[in-house]
Amino acid sequence: MTASLDKGISVLKEMIDAPIASYFSSCVHCGLCAEACLFYTETGDPKYTPIHKLKPLRRVYQQEYTLLGRFAKMLGLSKPVTDSELEEWKPLVYDSCTLCGRCSMVCPVGNDIVYMVRRLREGMAISGHAPDGLIGASRRAVEIGSPMGVKLAAVQAQMKHVRQDTGIEIPLDAAGAEYMLIMSSMEIINFPEYLGAIARIMKQAGKSWTLCSEAFEATNSGIQIGVSDIARVLVQRIVDGAEKLKVKTVISPECGHAYTALRWEGPNLIGRPYTFDVLHILEVLDGFHKEGLFKTSGFEDERLTFHDPCQLVRRGGVFDEPRNLLKLVAKDFVEMSDAGKMNWCCGGGGGVSAIEEAEQLRLQAFKIKKSQLEQTGAKTLVTACANCRIVIEEGLEHYKMHIPVVGLTETLADHLVEGEKP
Amino acid sequence: MTIDNDGDFKKALSGLSPAQQRMAAARFAENVLELTRDARIKRTIESAKLDTISDEELGTAFQFAKAASVDSYTQCGHECDWNKQAGHFVAEAALASIKPADGNNPAWDAAMHARMARTCARIAAGNGTHNREDAAQYRILAEFLNS
Repeated sequence: MTASLDKGISVLKEMIDAPIASYFSSCVHCGLCAEACLFYTETGDPKYTPIHKLKPLRRVYQQEYTLLGRFAKMLGLSKPVTDSELEEWKPLVYDSCTLCGRCSMVCPVGNDIVYMVRRLREGMAISGHAPDGLIGASRRAVEIGSPMGVKLAAVQAQMKHVRQDTGIEIPLDAAGAEYMLIMSSMEIINFPEYLGAIARIMKQAGKSWTLCSEAFEATNSGIQIGVSDIARVLVQRIVDGAEKLKVKTVISPECGHAYTALRWEGPNLIGRPYTFDVLHILEVLDGFHKEGLFKTSGFEDERLTFHDPCQLVRRGGVFDEPRNLLKLVAKDFVEMSDAGKMNWCCGGGGGVSAIEEAEQLRLQAFKIKKSQLEQTGAKTLVTACANCRIVIEEGLEHYKMHIPVVGLTETLADHLVEGEKP
Repeated sequence: MTIDNDGDFKKALSGLSPAQQRMAAARFAENVLELTRDARIKRTIESAKLDTISDEELGTAFQFAKAASVDSYTQCGHECDWNKQAGHFVAEAALASIKPADGNNPAWDAAMHARMARTCARIAAGNGTHNREDAAQYRILAEFLNS
């Protein structure tokens, strides 16, 4: 679809459904969402107030769906939304919103502000006002199969690498396997240790699993840029792969958005239920441990803390599993302030880390994570999202804090008892 | 001593003292140093190759390598430049050589990262992924052990 203002406004009109209308009409302008937003709290700039970021959508709502707004429009008292306004709003809707959902949690009238931002992004993208970084990522996701341009050959190279490292053959396109593993491009490119950790745990648990040559990518750029059609294509690719291989469960990787996109939004996007289950890798590992399928030995001696990826804990409900797993390997585990469903975002979610222009703001917003970490006195930070991991590492490096950041799955694998039956 | 497979290679590495592990790891990283222009990595490798190194020097080298590693990550949503990614894994190999000992096999980790660096460079060149960095590492280790 060619980007144009008319199409964008048309999409915005379509996006205003009953929930959006009720959210706008019930907003009491209390400002609580501002205090929940890391971009507002770390800059103090009122333009970063979440509800303010929705101004173009509110204008369309008022002009199209309220009596007074329609009169105002007819009388020329309310001007239509313009291209220049949308361009002005681009940094507010994309650069300074990670879709973390903290604002939605505190809204006293229950407005899901993230849902509203997502709907606004739909119109922004169609009208040509999405950031170049996200446009490129979405194009590559559709055309190549990965937002970062990863092709199957790179995945196979990593499979070979893991075989060399662990001696374990990674199954590919194994029909009838119980589990199908999907990965984020971040894990394929930056963190080969993730696949190695999975291979070792699966072997010890005695579970059949596979990668899929036609659906190895988990990241959903369509959700991030705000184009449901793209999100649908990317979900459908995974569904087709899983159904072709007749797997029972698809394992979502250590990636926040991949999980919510596939598990919670996917069936609505494709318009039908799945024929398989979707679980986050931490849910799978916690289940394995409860079933006694693997054991661990030894503990991390130094103090650990855990960063909850927003999409996992706040939007996805995966709270207990990481803590259950951390108890297996951590002697001295401490929670960050606001841990769990009110945890602060790393600052790079929702596609923000793909937007080069957002880097300085992201680093400024990171100060809240830095402060949380300093309070814990932790010597290692564990997380369960490859994007959070890199964003946090960059933030720590920027602020000269030398704390290792590691993935939970590989940390667990480091303590895996291998060879003997549990 | 001749090494021609990963089993013997890993076993030989695990028998090394921490200082020998560091020096062997540095040699694996050095063999792929051509894949990066980051001077911090070169400096780290030079430090890691020393017979003896002070805690202060180790700390500085670690910070250099860590910064080079973080700077060279491919960020989420960015198109992967496999040449730059090769540089990232060279940094990771250098970092493995001077990481605080944690009971693992840092020289093996460095070797694995160096192989990933070579693989990335092959992808960047459009030459598939096959390479013989493993054979080069067998030779490097044999020379190190025989020296």
